[in-house]
Amino acid sequence: MSVTLLILIILGAVTAAYVAGLARVRAVSGGNARVLHSRPSYYGTYVALVVALAAFSVMAVWLIAQGPVIMGHITDLLPADVRNGDPSMRELALAQVVNVAQSGSAFGAEPYAVKLAATYNSMLASSRLYMTIAVLLAALVAFALAYRQVRPQARARNWVEAVVKALLIICSSIAVLTTVGIVLSMLFQTIHFFSLVPPENFFFGLVWDPRFAAAGSGGETGQFGLIPVLWGTVFITILAMMVSVPVGLMSAIYLAEYAGPRFRGIAKPILEILAGIPTVVYGFFALITVGPFLRDGGALIGLDIDARSALTAGLVMGIMIIPFVSSLSDDVINAVPQSLRDGSYGLGATKSETIRRVILPAALPGIVGSIILAVSRAVGETMIVVMAAGVAANLTANPFQAVTTVTVKIVSQLTGDQEFTSPQTLVAFALGMTLFVITLILNVYALHIVRKYREQYD
Amino acid sequence: MTDTGKTPYFLSERAQKLVRKRYAAERRFRFYGLAMIILALAFLAVLFYTIISQGISGFVVTNIRLPVTFTAEALGVEPGATAEDLKGVSGFKYTKLARRSLNDYLGIPKGDTEDERLSRGLLSNGVDVQLRKILVNDPTLLGSTVEVWLLAHGSVDPFVKGQISRDLPENRRLINDQQMAWLEKLEHDGRVDLRFNSNLFTEGASADPELAGVGVALLGSFFMMVLVVLLALPLGVGAALYLEEFAPKNRFTDLVEVNINNLAAVPSIVFGILGLAVFINYAHLPRSAPIVGGLVLTLMTLPTVIIATRAAIRAVPPSIKEAALGVGASKMQAVFHHVLPLAMPGILTGLIIGLAQAMGETAPLIMVGMVAAVFDFPGSPMDPATALPVQIYIWSGLPERGFVALTSAAIMILLAFLLTMNATAVILRKRFERRW
Amino acid sequence: MIADTGNVKFTTRDVHVFYGAKEAIKGVDLDINNNEVTALIGPSGCGKSTYLRCLNRMNDTVDSARVTGTIELDGVDIYDRSVDVVQLRARVGMVFQKPNPFPKSIYENVAYGPRIHGLATKKSELDEVVETSLRKAGLWNEVNDRLDTQGTALSGGQQQRLCIARAIAVSPEVILMDEPCSALDPIATARVEELIDELRENYAIVIVTHSMQQAARVSQKTAFFHLGDLVEYGDTEDIFTNPREERTRDYITGRFG
Repeated sequence: MSVTLLILIILGAVTAAYVAGLARVRAVSGGNARVLHSRPSYYGTYVALVVALAAFSVMAVWLIAQGPVIMGHITDLLPADVRNGDPSMRELALAQVVNVAQSGSAFGAEPYAVKLAATYNSMLASSRLYMTIAVLLAALVAFALAYRQVRPQARARNWVEAVVKALLIICSSIAVLTTVGIVLSMLFQTIHFFSLVPPENFFFGLVWDPRFAAAGSGGETGQFGLIPVLWGTVFITILAMMVSVPVGLMSAIYLAEYAGPRFRGIAKPILEILAGIPTVVYGFFALITVGPFLRDGGALIGLDIDARSALTAGLVMGIMIIPFVSSLSDDVINAVPQSLRDGSYGLGATKSETIRRVILPAALPGIVGSIILAVSRAVGETMIVVMAAGVAANLTANPFQAVTTVTVKIVSQLTGDQEFTSPQTLVAFALGMTLFVITLILNVYALHIVRKYREQYD
Repeated sequence: MTDTGKTPYFLSERAQKLVRKRYAAERRFRFYGLAMIILALAFLAVLFYTIISQGISGFVVTNIRLPVTFTAEALGVEPGATAEDLKGVSGFKYTKLARRSLNDYLGIPKGDTEDERLSRGLLSNGVDVQLRKILVNDPTLLGSTVEVWLLAHGSVDPFVKGQISRDLPENRRLINDQQMAWLEKLEHDGRVDLRFNSNLFTEGASADPELAGVGVALLGSFFMMVLVVLLALPLGVGAALYLEEFAPKNRFTDLVEVNINNLAAVPSIVFGILGLAVFINYAHLPRSAPIVGGLVLTLMTLPTVIIATRAAIRAVPPSIKEAALGVGASKMQAVFHHVLPLAMPGILTGLIIGLAQAMGETAPLIMVGMVAAVFDFPGSPMDPATALPVQIYIWSGLPERGFVALTSAAIMILLAFLLTMNATAVILRKRFERRW
Repeated sequence: MIADTGNVKFTTRDVHVFYGAKEAIKGVDLDINNNEVTALIGPSGCGKSTYLRCLNRMNDTVDSARVTGTIELDGVDIYDRSVDVVQLRARVGMVFQKPNPFPKSIYENVAYGPRIHGLATKKSELDEVVETSLRKAGLWNEVNDRLDTQGTALSGGQQQRLCIARAIAVSPEVILMDEPCSALDPIATARVEELIDELRENYAIVIVTHSMQQAARVSQKTAFFHLGDLVEYGDTEDIFTNPREERTRDYITGRFG
């Protein structure tokens, strides 16, 4: 029985439970709603909620647990030499079993894998069957218990509200679970990676040359130096900031302090369109227009600029980040109280003197916070660099050359055929972890100073 | 000028000079500000100009009008065959029909193998589908000769559009001098025209630009957006309601708070890694499927929805909730009956903005394997598909000239969606904006 | 309504101020004398602050504001094109309702004006200006050992005296004060009022106040505004003991306000 069908059945049962609960409360109250603690519909809702919760939680637990249980079982059934051999070979064998089971094609698979695939499929089928039985049983028991509680004095509304509140708490913990999921999904693979490549080689290595070895051949690990890759990220980020900070900040100042309401009303939304353009579009723009333009322009004045270069990526990324810097700075500048402006004008300062000597110093923490957020954005940006920065890990300070970044390497190491056992693939998780930690620190720090800044003028 | 007798400092030459200098600095500063805005707007203009000027030509495609004779013999069917029979005829036979009519038109005799091989290069590989469709729609055409617009090959298209100069030396062109001569003859006879490229909207991946389209990608994006709405809206609103109305102020809620703000700024590719590790490797959901993409995008959109919802709830004045509490509603009733409906426009605005972000997201989808070339339309969110921005990414890497126009055209379609969504959000905000 | 001649600093005739279509000041004729404190009193929204802000053209910073009539400082119309607003504001300093020290050090707060106007070219001159201004504002003894602490770290009363020092530092001829004590406690208020009295020797002072007692305590001349009109102007003592107009009497006896 498919999961979708089961969900539909549960939903049907929930509806039935609602109707039954409503009928029951009408019966016990003799149609007189005044003797009831809560409105009749709450009793129906209560019964329905209990049934739904019981059924769906059993189903969720089952679905989460069945994978590991079945895989554990299959592992036990693997031929002894594979089971006790190299862990990466074991993973590979298991992946083959799942692949055969899902595709139904035994082409090129080991005979034992074909056999185990059948076992896998039959275990999956019986697991589904048992799950259906367990879910329906849980629903039935829950219904019986809840149905018996329907009495006039029963505080159905309070129960329903308690359940709703619990659901709301679950909703808000999804956000926490996402973070936990992010960390865990990368942590184990990163640890695995560091068991294959010593951390010092990764963090302090000056050469990036992962050499895609044949599957499972073990020996060839290549070199996984983070430094050149991280340098590419830093370098492009610096270039992007050199574009976006002056343009974004000056635009924000002009819009906030000089522009009339009409100009502001037109320019601001247009500027924000830049923020709504997907990064893949910027990547294409860099690839098709900016890269060739810089290359040809450079050739005219005798500069040798690669079509894919740090400069191209940095320039386009800078354009992308302009609205980010300008709208955050705009907020920050507007938060500076009018009284400070008045104080400065009252002393006979001109507008630009007031801006440079009073408003900007007062807004500085907020602006710094915005810029750090923008940096974090640039560091994590993927598509522009994938399409415009290049793939060669050059440790160079020449903006006309191609460099590569952390995000580019994550994409290139994780796309295509992969096995989660080779360092070539696992390094992507270590890179992802590095990226996550860097942006986390930047974000938390930036949010902290922006918040403190806001409180100062509230 | 003054009657106080003092000579004020401000009338001195030095002061006047200083003031002039200060005003010059003021004008300079103001000019820099204006220049920077104009620069930013110029970037935008160049971007749009590039995309639109390239993309416009992606919406049309070169067609060649040929008199095609649908002989029953060549198709291997009885005269008077039904639509069902004609559907079953192999595509190769239809292709041969098209080639025959082209060769007849150009005067290439049967058996002239070299010229026959070259003339094939003028017609698209998709002409069989075109011819079959025409005949299946009207089986009575069998046996008659019809003027039919047939797709030209992708290597012909850029020359007709003038994107590649015909003066290039032969060895640098994809079509040789003989083919060029034929093309010019056809053009001279008025048999070549640029017609609307419907394949762009109805087809999936293809190696031939004239046969490729964003249809599969659009459907994939649609599935994902539906998933995001179904999941992110209830989860996000639930979380926001709890945090804003019910949560006690303690360490846990502080943590959730910081966490949500931070999640909103986590690089999208990290969400892709999460999707790969959790949904594909752990939960064994199918690769390349919109369900995985949709889940990843949901997690990415969630912080946006939560933050927007909280702002919308906070904008509802507490007096309204107090009024409900005052007439004996429970807190839950007050929130669900009064606060939430009033906050709804703000919530929907936030949701649409979040959706627009999700719709343009590329990197995490690449991570969960949505970069595969998908030819068939997905029947459900569990089937392989691509997404519109991913399709743009894939096409941008292809060398054929025709794909540059297609990529730009796809970008125009994507931007049209995004602009519509954002405009809706703005209108929604304006329409329902309430000043308390 | 024109009182003393002789020592006149500001002459204003038929001053109207419009915010968009709304007329906030409806034709005010008033002279302001040197070495005197002129108090502007009246209920909220009567236009007294608006009038005050005309005197150094602070209304220029409000987009919708429009001023007509003549306002002459030492016989020169300050709304004339030849008058530079930046210089005007240096001559006519202003102290605001809420103390608004810049988020800089005490020293930098006071040095700000002299710096932008080029009044002190050498560090030693600047030090001197800062010290004199702080002394005049009666703040020197309290802060001379911590000139590099943030101005915002001072108490409310000290902040307001810092703002006065900041205004004095550009050697203005007139000081405008817009309810300078409304955000201060009684002790700090008394301190600022004392200061105003001392400053009268060297400057013309115009003070807007809500408190009639304060007007009576610090000013020599009082102008009563109501609904954009100047109702009555005269010696403070006369206004408070023997008002000519009914509306003035009603206001100072607390019938409305």
